Amino acid sequence: MSRHGKTSTATREAELLQGTLDMLILTVAALRPIHGYAIVQRIQQISKDALQIRQGSLYPALYRLENRGWLKSEWKTTDGGRDAKYYSLTKAGRQQLEMETAGWKRLCEAISLVLETAE
Amino acid sequence: MNWNAWFRRGQWEHRVDSEFRFHLESQINDYINQGLTRKEAELRARREFGPLELAKDDSRDQKPGQWLDHFLRDVRYACRSLRKSPGFAAAAILTFALGIGANTAIFGVVHAVLIKPLRYSEPEQIYNVEVVAPRADSQFSSLSATIHIYHEWRKAETAFGAMSALKPWECTLTGDGEPELLGGAHVSTNFFAFLGVPPAHGRGFLAEEEQLGKDRVVVISDGLWRRRYGSDSNLVGRTIDINGQSHLVVGIAPASLLVPTGALLHPMLSFAPRIDIWKPIAPTKRELDPNNESWDYGLLVRLRAGENAERGRQQLQAILNRYYRTLLPESSIELRTQLVPIREIYAGKVRLRLLLILAASVLLLLTACTNIANLFLARVTSRASEFATRIALGAGRARIISQTLTETTLIAMLGGILGAGLAGSGASLLAAYGPDEVRLLSDSRLNLTVFVFAMAASAVTGILCGVIPALQSHRKDAAAGLQEGVRGALGGGWAARFRQLLVGVEMALVTPLLTSAGLLLHSFVNVMRADRGYQVERVLAIDLSLPGQRYLTGESRTAFYRELAGRVRDLPGIQAAGAISALPATSETSSNQAIFHATDTDLLSVVHERPVGMIRGVTGGYFAASGTALLTGRYFAEHEPTPVALIGESLANSLWPGEARATVVGRTFRQGDVTGPLITIAGVMEDVLPGASDRKPLPIIYRPYHQWASERATLVVKSAQETAAPAPAVRAEIRRMDAGLPIPAIRTMREIVSASVAQRRFQMMLTSCFAFLALLLGAVGVYGVVSYAVACRTRDIGLRIAVGATRSDVLRWVFSQGMQPVVIGLLVGLAAAIAMATALRSLLFGIAPTDPASLGGVVLALLLTSGLACYLPARRAAALDPMTALRHG
Repeated sequence: MSRHGKTSTATREAELLQGTLDMLILTVAALRPIHGYAIVQRIQQISKDALQIRQGSLYPALYRLENRGWLKSEWKTTDGGRDAKYYSLTKAGRQQLEMETAGWKRLCEAISLVLETAE
Repeated sequence: MNWNAWFRRGQWEHRVDSEFRFHLESQINDYINQGLTRKEAELRARREFGPLELAKDDSRDQKPGQWLDHFLRDVRYACRSLRKSPGFAAAAILTFALGIGANTAIFGVVHAVLIKPLRYSEPEQIYNVEVVAPRADSQFSSLSATIHIYHEWRKAETAFGAMSALKPWECTLTGDGEPELLGGAHVSTNFFAFLGVPPAHGRGFLAEEEQLGKDRVVVISDGLWRRRYGSDSNLVGRTIDINGQSHLVVGIAPASLLVPTGALLHPMLSFAPRIDIWKPIAPTKRELDPNNESWDYGLLVRLRAGENAERGRQQLQAILNRYYRTLLPESSIELRTQLVPIREIYAGKVRLRLLLILAASVLLLLTACTNIANLFLARVTSRASEFATRIALGAGRARIISQTLTETTLIAMLGGILGAGLAGSGASLLAAYGPDEVRLLSDSRLNLTVFVFAMAASAVTGILCGVIPALQSHRKDAAAGLQEGVRGALGGGWAARFRQLLVGVEMALVTPLLTSAGLLLHSFVNVMRADRGYQVERVLAIDLSLPGQRYLTGESRTAFYRELAGRVRDLPGIQAAGAISALPATSETSSNQAIFHATDTDLLSVVHERPVGMIRGVTGGYFAASGTALLTGRYFAEHEPTPVALIGESLANSLWPGEARATVVGRTFRQGDVTGPLITIAGVMEDVLPGASDRKPLPIIYRPYHQWASERATLVVKSAQETAAPAPAVRAEIRRMDAGLPIPAIRTMREIVSASVAQRRFQMMLTSCFAFLALLLGAVGVYGVVSYAVACRTRDIGLRIAVGATRSDVLRWVFSQGMQPVVIGLLVGLAAAIAMATALRSLLFGIAPTDPASLGGVVLALLLTSGLACYLPARRAAALDPMTALRHG
């Protein structure tokens, strides 16, 4: 019955990327409605293949974000004429993204500050 | 949670599938476009995606309401695994059912008697008022009230908004069938309104009906209405004959009306065991005489909202003392009042016993718990490889623990449901065989609170039983578990030691339970064996009441009882028969009077120093029938011209302390008043104990029947046979003498005594029953652990035999291994048992808390049963063939 218990044992990668993956998804979905496969492609493209995620672990994250009300989804037909589920950011998702981005920047600054001082 | 999502689960699965399929196919297409073959593209896409099912599972976990899904899956899994081992499941469920059933039944009683609000309006505002007089050796710790006290209090303005009075009443109902002796009460006209329980049909009493002449109105009980009048809806407004006078039935009380019976309200007021009729109190001139000092009123008061009970008590006390000071200006006696909450009336005497019974049943449940925990632990260890496999396949530890817990909780809940069913029938048994308090307050229907208790107890015990096996289940390192398989896990010292510890704990729980059962049993035997001063075997008691109109004079009543006793004596198989005005064993409270020395002249100066005596009129033949022995002096002659008495030994001692019995004979005393006639003591009788025999002897004074000729009397008959066989013949004889008498209740003396020890027996029986079950569970626990250990160590034992250990060495080794935790648990339990016994000292009779017989019996019983439980597997171990054991063990 412990949701978090299960999630944490799911994959090691997911754990590594826990906070970051959510933020990346939100960032990618902020531009336009986008389906799961395109999100993976987009993340790998942006990070220049530095961030390897197991593709399967993307979906639990998508569902979690949708469940929290940060993403909304709708089924649409792709250019290739297939049915795909498109995700887009909700208002709450946009706020969350802003918060996380700000938080992330602060963290990065803090870390680089520590690293610089340590040198 | 989102129920729509829940119901559309199938749709959800479908959508996830198509989403994943879209992802994989897009990827494959891209790879094919990059130049890979279809096969390569598929393989690569699959690899990069990772296990499909895992992704799906994890996605599913993100859905709201997922815990329910998990839970149901766990339940399904638990059901499946229990179906695979039905014997284990049945044993565990039954053990739980017993433990929870016992607890639920007892909790039901505790809830009904001690917790549930009484069926009155605002019952917590109602108190019984008692008077405490500083009389040194009184039989009673407090007094009830007199009519004068009632009137003084009623007219005063106090913190109590209302006051209601009630006094015992007994009457004969005639017409519409056989004459019937009814238990009833005279009550103040506001009685039903006071309690907040209006009659179900008709009305309560009117204020003016407390005037003599207007008081020929009655309210009857629902039981009487159904029994005698077939629920006749026209009965209200009709008249019925009570004691030969017609009375108007104005109301029928609801079936649920709760009124004090027996001596519940106050030991000085003896109501019938069942109250069937109520009539207004309409005092006669004689009753209103200031010299009437009958303490026969029970008073209930209702506190005004927001008032303080203690302030009210002081107000009543001030009024009381002011009243007595105007009556007896030179008296210096200070009386006190005390308030008893109405619940205490019903629950006060049984509270300690009930709580102890509850404690015993909790101990039983805990014993059952340890047993089941042990069973599960064994099961978990034997399934170590299964768990190891599942952990290796990626099951999280939380899931494994929650699955194990689900299994124990499921078993506990199933046991709980079964137990609640058992408790239902148990509760009606308890209500039927319990003491009055339990009978009055219990409702055998299983109510919601009790059911919730059963389910909560099941859940808690399920988790309690499951938590240790659950922690153990994931403890094994996955890889090691897989390699070693079952055998490795079994030898695992940790689990084995823990199972031994559980056996020790079990014994430590069983010992105090057995000890208290032993002590209560021994006390009960002592109570039953005590010399009461009257025969219990082969004696019948027949309660009779002669209607006032036909037997107006003492002579006519004396003649009737003498004649009846004579006729009964002549019946075949009868050894002796005689009448007494009220049986000492049951009616302790009627005809109590202060006893004065012949030299006392001023009533007021000595009244609080003189003892109270119970006056009883007896016909010839009574002592022969009851078996009460004459210690010195002589019995009554057929006709005693002057007032004479036979006096109980303990009363003689308190009247003339330190003087020899023989010197008491011939002395004189007065009863009731200093102006009464002098009564000469003809002899001293053996003391008579109350029915429960655990209080001091009754201060009894016997008078010849013609000098103390009450309307009511009890015929005591001693027969040659063991049974109640002469009862019909006796009844026929009564019919022959007067067909208009109510059908007498004929009881054996054994029944009477047994009813007076109802509380004690109730507790003793239940505690013994629980102790026996716990002993059985304990033995099963020991047996389980030892035979399991033997099964796991077959190889080890085979090796020992192979290298030269004899069969008796093996026997001794296994036996001592098994008994070790038993003995340690027993020692710890004994310490707890003695502490517990000291706490229940007030319930013991004739023994100390460290009663060697009880303690010895407990130790013996425990050692014997667990010894047997160890011996059986030990013998099996000793009979092992070493070669087979080494090869296959």
